[in-house]
Amino acid sequence: MYYLGLKFLLLTGCLLGYGTAAAQRDPYEAERRQMVRTQLQARDIHHRATLRAMGTVPRHLYVPAAQQRFAYQDRPLPIGYGQTISQPYIVGYMTQIIRPEARHNVLEIGTGSGYQAAVLAEIVDQVHTIEIVPELGQTARRVLGQHYDNVRVKTGDGYYGWEEAGPFDAIVVTAAAEYIPPPLVEQLKDGGKMIIPVGSPFQVQLLMLVEKKGSDITTRTLMPVRFVPFTRASQDQ
Amino acid sequence: MEKHPITGMEKRLITGIGLHSAAIIAFQLALMQLISMVQWHHFAYMIISVAMLGFGASGTLLALARKKLLHWSPWLVPALMTLSGLLMMVVFQAARLEMFRFDVYLLFSDRSQFPILAANYLLFFLPFFFGALAIGIVFIQHARSIGTYYFSNLLGSGVGGLLILVLSGAIHPLHAPPLIGLLSVGGGLISMRPGSRYGLIAFNILALAISLFMLKQPASLPLSEYKGLSRTLNLPETSVVYSEPDIQGHIEVVQGPALRYAPALSLAYTGAIPVKKQVFVNGDMYGVIPRHDPDASSHILDHTTMALPYVMADREKVLVLRPGPGSAVSQALLSGARRVDAVFENGGVFRLMQTRYAEASGNLMHQDRLHARNIQVRNFLANVPAGEYDMIALPLLESFGGTAGLNALREDYSLTKEAFQLMWEALSPGGVIAVSSWIDYPARTTLKLMATLVETARQNGIARPADHIAAIRSWGTITFVLKKQALTELEVARTRSFGERMYFDPALLPDIQEEERTRFNMIEEASLLAYLDLIMEGTSGLERDYGFVIDPSTDDRPYFSQFLRLKHIPRLSETFGQDNVPFLELGYLIVVVTLVQSLLLALLLIILPLLRLRRSPRRKSGTLLYFGALGLGYMFAEIILIQRFVLYLGHPVYALSAVISTMLIASGAGSLASGRINIPQASIQRVALVVAGILLAYTLLLTPLIRETLPAPLFVKTLLSLVIIAIPAFFMGMMFPLGIRFLAAYDHSQIPWAWGINGCLSVISTSLATLIAVESGFRIVMLVAFGSYLLACACFFFGKWFFRTPVGEKIPG
Repeated sequence: MYYLGLKFLLLTGCLLGYGTAAAQRDPYEAERRQMVRTQLQARDIHHRATLRAMGTVPRHLYVPAAQQRFAYQDRPLPIGYGQTISQPYIVGYMTQIIRPEARHNVLEIGTGSGYQAAVLAEIVDQVHTIEIVPELGQTARRVLGQHYDNVRVKTGDGYYGWEEAGPFDAIVVTAAAEYIPPPLVEQLKDGGKMIIPVGSPFQVQLLMLVEKKGSDITTRTLMPVRFVPFTRASQDQ
Repeated sequence: MEKHPITGMEKRLITGIGLHSAAIIAFQLALMQLISMVQWHHFAYMIISVAMLGFGASGTLLALARKKLLHWSPWLVPALMTLSGLLMMVVFQAARLEMFRFDVYLLFSDRSQFPILAANYLLFFLPFFFGALAIGIVFIQHARSIGTYYFSNLLGSGVGGLLILVLSGAIHPLHAPPLIGLLSVGGGLISMRPGSRYGLIAFNILALAISLFMLKQPASLPLSEYKGLSRTLNLPETSVVYSEPDIQGHIEVVQGPALRYAPALSLAYTGAIPVKKQVFVNGDMYGVIPRHDPDASSHILDHTTMALPYVMADREKVLVLRPGPGSAVSQALLSGARRVDAVFENGGVFRLMQTRYAEASGNLMHQDRLHARNIQVRNFLANVPAGEYDMIALPLLESFGGTAGLNALREDYSLTKEAFQLMWEALSPGGVIAVSSWIDYPARTTLKLMATLVETARQNGIARPADHIAAIRSWGTITFVLKKQALTELEVARTRSFGERMYFDPALLPDIQEEERTRFNMIEEASLLAYLDLIMEGTSGLERDYGFVIDPSTDDRPYFSQFLRLKHIPRLSETFGQDNVPFLELGYLIVVVTLVQSLLLALLLIILPLLRLRRSPRRKSGTLLYFGALGLGYMFAEIILIQRFVLYLGHPVYALSAVISTMLIASGAGSLASGRINIPQASIQRVALVVAGILLAYTLLLTPLIRETLPAPLFVKTLLSLVIIAIPAFFMGMMFPLGIRFLAAYDHSQIPWAWGINGCLSVISTSLATLIAVESGFRIVMLVAFGSYLLACACFFFGKWFFRTPVGEKIPG
């Protein structure tokens, strides 16, 4: 108990330190710190690298201008083309569950605005991300390109994965589908993990973890995720 | 008796009222269809209930400004009809403007949506308000010969109901309002006095120009971005390749390089998932167009849990119910079945697969071993000989990610206890019923399905259902197989071996071991399996105590997808968060919201005129009770007849049209006949008793009558339906004009109020009847209708109390 408390203090101190330095040039610093504290730590997101990454990535840069003031709220936001940026908790949970490490090569299916890829890029060596909507892919490539040199963005159908860049230690599927594409399972390393949200944005969501161990592939349906629906995409079109 | 000879002008006015009434009902139904396409059915219901309060509001305005409105009536009535027609032409197009656009999903999460919702209410309210005001003025002006005018109103409304049936199969729904609006404009033109024509004729030419302009607009709808079709069209190189209006919903076929179908495909599958065209009905996903290859060794669905019944044993004669465009039919044929019967419920999709997409689907519908029919499931099952099939397959229930309970109030007679009983009887001794579902969270569909299967087994004398039910679970779906005889060791072994190959886990088997249930697919919340066991045992009372309704649906409450218990909302809020609760069952909650808003607005509209009527010394409680009872009773009876005839005639569209049109036309005839009755007050009691008697008889006899005659040929059923609907409707149609004639003598100033009360209660009763039907069943709704007519009778039986006059005056009649 004492140990956990100490960890919490150290971590908060670390984040606070970052915040003090950046506060002058980042008007959302305080909100981001609060997001980490109230939406992630308070809900059992404790993976240190994940918390650090989410405390670092300026989420407001990954949402449309009209949505920036809502960027750190506990809800997903529309990014156009019928897509959303997941609520911070989902991003945190999905990142924590795959236990990313610096040496990892991670594939993301469904770049969207690029936020999840940015969080991963703070932690791992290589992030490959695929977006099916060309316009979203272009925007994400531009924004991610300004901050990261370890992220590659491809526009195309995520069904086929990214064979030449694989195999992957982890695959994060941000857009749920009613089937798991066989090429993705194929491109997952032995011992690799794939995380997928199951359910539409308006439901009480479940997450599914797929693990590949030798010849066996198992799934684990994880806790229901609280979810708040977002505002209409056309407002910021 | 109405003895007043009808003049030429009055004849024109009667015709005008008929045309205008036809337009109003046709517009209401067209609007319902359009809003259902753009958003969802329940939301359409919510908008239109407020719009229909235009009838109540017109009564209020009439009560407050009766003299002026009657004074201006010669030009005002035609002008109002024309204005109403013009608004019908433009309001839906106006609702497409950015300022009016919103989404039903966001109502429960984003407060900024409320002003936009209010703006929508106002927009759709206007044509009904002006339209009803025109009718109300005419009714009040001609109160003593109301029977003829009311006849025209009802007859026109009946014809309007049929008109929309014709239009929806012929033109794009977006093009219906400009045509319908012309009817009202025509009604206005006919109703003009000869001397007042020129100005209004110019108005009518303008209307014609607007109508033509609207018809020229492209037939595209601004769908909610959360509709399946919208989301699909966001994918690159994806487009609608075929579009067709159909009476059962607008059909669209979409093609794109990323569209595939393989529900909860096995993770052991390493092949390619073929790209398929998708079919949408009213913007919602209906299925994919299969490509049947008779030489293929397996089907993509063979790698899903849905293959279980075919793996367990060979099936000679298979019945596939509601296969969408036909994927499950293709799977059944490839399984080697000697004969496959398939029941397609959507006629438009059925024809599409037989003709335009016959080649693209590998001539699936023309396979020798296939006998496909376009008929409703219950109508088909009613004629199946006992012991006919080795397997009956139901479609995959729920949808991936859930529907947020939008189908909660859809009557589904193919999933009731009675339907499963018919399926059981149609099975050969070794036959099975196979049904699959997406696994939902919190568990609802899966558990209700299980409860239905267990109850079917028990009511057929199976003491240990566990020996007859197998189930297998993947990461997303579960398939149940209920066998008439006990499962054999071989079938159990094959189930296990299938699971092993596909990374699926057996969920139910006669000798199930706990450790094998979560070998490949673990569930953090393991309650699903425990609940399945409790239902199997049948002694736990889980159905009673569970947070959701999971006991089997019945023909009396055929809402398979309705799970929410209103009393458990606080508990659910605690568990899932207040913001999430609405999305557990949006469809049902929208009806509750509709009822509350209708009640509040109706109260306002009923109370407001009382300020004006306070000056009258005559008692008003009789008017409130009598016309309120009529509004409630008539709508309750109408709604129940619609629900009952969905089962009888096979499709909601047919039931809706048949019941509404027959009721209105028969009531119109009753209204006309009421003109021959001399003493309204004495007659009202007798007529009300007749209606109450018929409704009581229907409460007791209608369900068995429908069940017994379900196998009869369609023309016999149609004829019987017309008689069943027309008899009470004829007498019900007498009561409003008789009441108005009584009021004309008792207190003329109360007539507009009576018109308003009747309108308000009609609106309230649509959502109230649905709520009662869900909570208590159709019989109770019919009993309330019976009670309403008894109340109407009591108003006159105890007339001295309800219609008290100043000292020295007598109650007329």
